[in-house]
Amino acid sequence: MNEIVLETEALTKYYGSTLAVDHIDLKIPRGCICGFVGRNGAGKTTAIKLMLGLLNPTTGSSRLLGCDSSALTSAIRQRIGYVTEGHRLFRWMTIAGLEKFQRSFFPKQWDDKFFADMIEYLNLPKKKKIKHLSNGQRAQVSLALALAPNPELLIMDDPTLGLDAAIRRQFLEGMIELIMRQGRTVLFSSHILGDVERVSDRIVVIDKGVLRANCSLEQFQKAIKKVILSFADSAPDEVNIDGLLHCKRIEKQLELTLIGTDDEKISEWAKSVGAENYHIVKMNLEDQFIEFTAPANHKRLFQWEER
Amino acid sequence: MRFSTLLRKELRECLPWMLLAAIAFLAVGGFFLRAEAYYENIRHYSRLSPGTAVDHYRLTYYSILNVTGPWLFCLSIGLGLVLGIRQFWIPNFTRTWPFLLHRSVSRKTILAAKLTATLIAFVISIGPVWVGFYWYACRQEVFPIPPTFRVFIEGWIFIMLGLVAYLGTALSGLSTAKWYTTKIFGLAFATVIIVTTLSQWTLVGIFTVIAISVAILLSLIFDSFLRREF
Repeated sequence: MNEIVLETEALTKYYGSTLAVDHIDLKIPRGCICGFVGRNGAGKTTAIKLMLGLLNPTTGSSRLLGCDSSALTSAIRQRIGYVTEGHRLFRWMTIAGLEKFQRSFFPKQWDDKFFADMIEYLNLPKKKKIKHLSNGQRAQVSLALALAPNPELLIMDDPTLGLDAAIRRQFLEGMIELIMRQGRTVLFSSHILGDVERVSDRIVVIDKGVLRANCSLEQFQKAIKKVILSFADSAPDEVNIDGLLHCKRIEKQLELTLIGTDDEKISEWAKSVGAENYHIVKMNLEDQFIEFTAPANHKRLFQWEER
Repeated sequence: MRFSTLLRKELRECLPWMLLAAIAFLAVGGFFLRAEAYYENIRHYSRLSPGTAVDHYRLTYYSILNVTGPWLFCLSIGLGLVLGIRQFWIPNFTRTWPFLLHRSVSRKTILAAKLTATLIAFVISIGPVWVGFYWYACRQEVFPIPPTFRVFIEGWIFIMLGLVAYLGTALSGLSTAKWYTTKIFGLAFATVIIVTTLSQWTLVGIFTVIAISVAILLSLIFDSFLRREF
């Protein structure tokens, strides 16, 4: 089994009476690129800050690289890269100043050449102050600062938020650069499912503070299906099929969103309810995510490996 | 090395305010002092004319340096408030705490760098100007009766009160409570300490009040900073 680099146990956080993160049990193995997705206010940033020890959990615990998050040592922090939400850097510093500042905290592992190459590739002026950079440029500086120490674990909180498509592409290329270094693990939260689809091999879905899915991206994409069944007379009143997420009636048609239901079972069920025909509609990750997190009574954790 | 990096960063953030305070103190304090020296000379020589007597107060406690006192006091408190806001309130709005705190150093080191930077900022911005003023007032051609050393010490007490104001602002900035509840405690406590200090007459009393209040504020700041969520 792969070594676990990030682990949470019943991680819970209340802000006053508001439950932000609800008993999250998560294990991220070494070497994976994990997309951490959820709607606005789902608890992604809170969960990330809990993992990094910037917030204290109400109950539960989390461990990064084997060390409890509430007591991350300097040596462990050196092995973790963190890109903050909104790329909040010291606005008065120049890129060169920030490089110097950041480098002093990673004296042995800082890769001068990598940083210089990345800044040159992105065509960023080193003498320019952060406050004079655009959002996209700040994001790129932020990523370069996080990648140059060659971290074992890179955690990014919505790194592509507010960036245009071209800058996002460049940013993801930077991530892929890290991915190509063996044994590196990346956890990044995002709203943009296209980005997750492009670079992730694992997906973690959080909804209203609750962990809803933790599996490989491939399994998630295979598991969620939309089936449209046509009936000669009228669609049945009761729909009783395993893995039902949503059900919609359109005249003589029934549109079902299913999770983890294999094609054989769908075929059997279609026959049993007298459907004239049915077909499975291909969904992209965004549609799957929207269907998966839309309000429904089917709220159990989808964790393929443990089923 | 990491501490010095943090210290440099904090000093750089304090630099504009340090320079502003030093220039303001030098310009306004210098103007008052120069004007007072001119009139004091006239008054002094008229007092030394036959038939007049110099009173005991003027020979012992009075100093032309007193004219800069209120300005030094206001400037010192102002600098304390500004540095406290710069270091502990602004990062709440710019949301740079997570970037700063995810360093390979302890939170204690980060806080120690902030406090050290402020101490240096106070000493090297207002301190030399105050020493310069004292040296100027001690010159016989400026003022025939030199100021007592106590007056010099009183200037440093005002500077220390600026540090108390800074610590109070820092404590309030670190509080996550609403401004009208316990968040105001740091500033209110500093205000009470400043008033209490000004009402003391003996140097022992003054230093005791300042030492106790600084110890209380420092312990509360360390506790808040180490426990606080960012």
